[in-house]
Amino acid sequence: MIKVIDLKKNFIQSDGSSLEVLKGVNEEIKKGEVVTVIGPSGGGKSTFLRCLNLLEEPTSGEVIFEGVNIADKGIDIDLHRQKMGMVFQQFNVFPHLTVKENITLAPVLLGKMTEEEADKKAMQLLERVGLKDKADEHPNKLSGGQKQRLAIVRALAMDPDVMLFDEPTSALDPEMVGEILDIIKQLIADGMTCVIVTHEMGFAKEVSDRVLFMDQGVIAESGTPEEVFNNPKNPRTKEFLSKVLY
Amino acid sequence: MEFFANIVEILSKYWKVFLITGVSKTLILSIITVTCGAILGLLICLGRISKIKPLKWVLTALVAVIRGTPMLLQLYVFYFLVPKVLPFKVSEFFSIVVGLSINSACYVSEVFRSGIESVDHGQMEAGRCLGLSKRQTMQKIIIPQAIKTILPALGNEFIMIVNDTSLASTFFVGEVMTSYLIVKGITYLTFECLTIVAAIYFVLTLILTKLLGILEKRLKEND
Repeated sequence: MIKVIDLKKNFIQSDGSSLEVLKGVNEEIKKGEVVTVIGPSGGGKSTFLRCLNLLEEPTSGEVIFEGVNIADKGIDIDLHRQKMGMVFQQFNVFPHLTVKENITLAPVLLGKMTEEEADKKAMQLLERVGLKDKADEHPNKLSGGQKQRLAIVRALAMDPDVMLFDEPTSALDPEMVGEILDIIKQLIADGMTCVIVTHEMGFAKEVSDRVLFMDQGVIAESGTPEEVFNNPKNPRTKEFLSKVLY
Repeated sequence: MEFFANIVEILSKYWKVFLITGVSKTLILSIITVTCGAILGLLICLGRISKIKPLKWVLTALVAVIRGTPMLLQLYVFYFLVPKVLPFKVSEFFSIVVGLSINSACYVSEVFRSGIESVDHGQMEAGRCLGLSKRQTMQKIIIPQAIKTILPALGNEFIMIVNDTSLASTFFVGEVMTSYLIVKGITYLTFECLTIVAAIYFVLTLILTKLLGILEKRLKEND
């Protein structure tokens, strides 16, 4: 579904020097697969994820999504992004719209649904995540966990083929982490293709088909959760896991 | 006491000049300037944050020149220039409106820019991730939030515009300040006439302040 070929990303720093964040990443994510990305901060996890939907423009390399190289400058990225849902660490819900409008805005504006259809879909989605009674409230009335649930269903309303999660629980109070992870698990159970950058090791171990360990701009190790967590081969993976699993 | 008696007498004789001709012209000037200034200001702002370099440079230069020179001077320039560059005949009033609008647009564009920059970058990313274009995200997500933040500053601009329309009296276009010049010329009662005119401007801007306050309150309800 998503194939990444020799993906490189350099950031130009304020002093003019160039920082190499991704140093040639190759990876293929198959339909229905759940891939979690773990690793130390600054290792390139988020940048890798953000390159998958071109939120960061790769310096070089290809990102092939459903057969199209979306890193190509000539393509209409907006069209392809409609098929890739994204959930952020900071929720990024739209504060000036009601909960329901947050969900219906994009499908209606992009002509995917009529207003009635979008309304109906929004209510179904909100019911699924227990926010039905908040439909006409503004997001400022929601807790962090509720905002993140809203952000997830907002992405789902576009019927994406893949969902990208960028540390979806990192900004949440500890007691709200579980509810978000449960929703992601539901999605996985429904067969959604997911790429999840996370610090929740237990969660990664439980839900992943494959775990990618990213460090210093490359995928240093990749394998089943069993392989990566219980039997890491790369010394950097071992070192990282020994720090986070105690 | 004579002062107040004079005011009453002036008003009873010349109220039409102040309240009908003057106020209506001031209102028309203000409404057109505020509307054109806001729309043009938003366009200038969008042009300045766009990626089209030449457009950016031209607009940045325009804003610098307009903000760097006195408004009265600009009105003189527009007063003489507009009729010359346009192929059809225009009134003095029209030239003044163009001058006032461009002046206010440049100030308003800076207000808009500060507002747009104040909206969290994650909002643009969230919009784009849903498949919205940059333009759609601007229209539906960024600008509505920006307007909410800049409303007090924008209101300030609008009030300034109402007061600034008085500069148009230099060209005798018939607004409130012109009516002062007319009535003073007849009665020689400078302070009485000034007091009347001051009261008119004060009431006009007070009403505007109240209206903006109501609007602000409505938009704030969701915060």
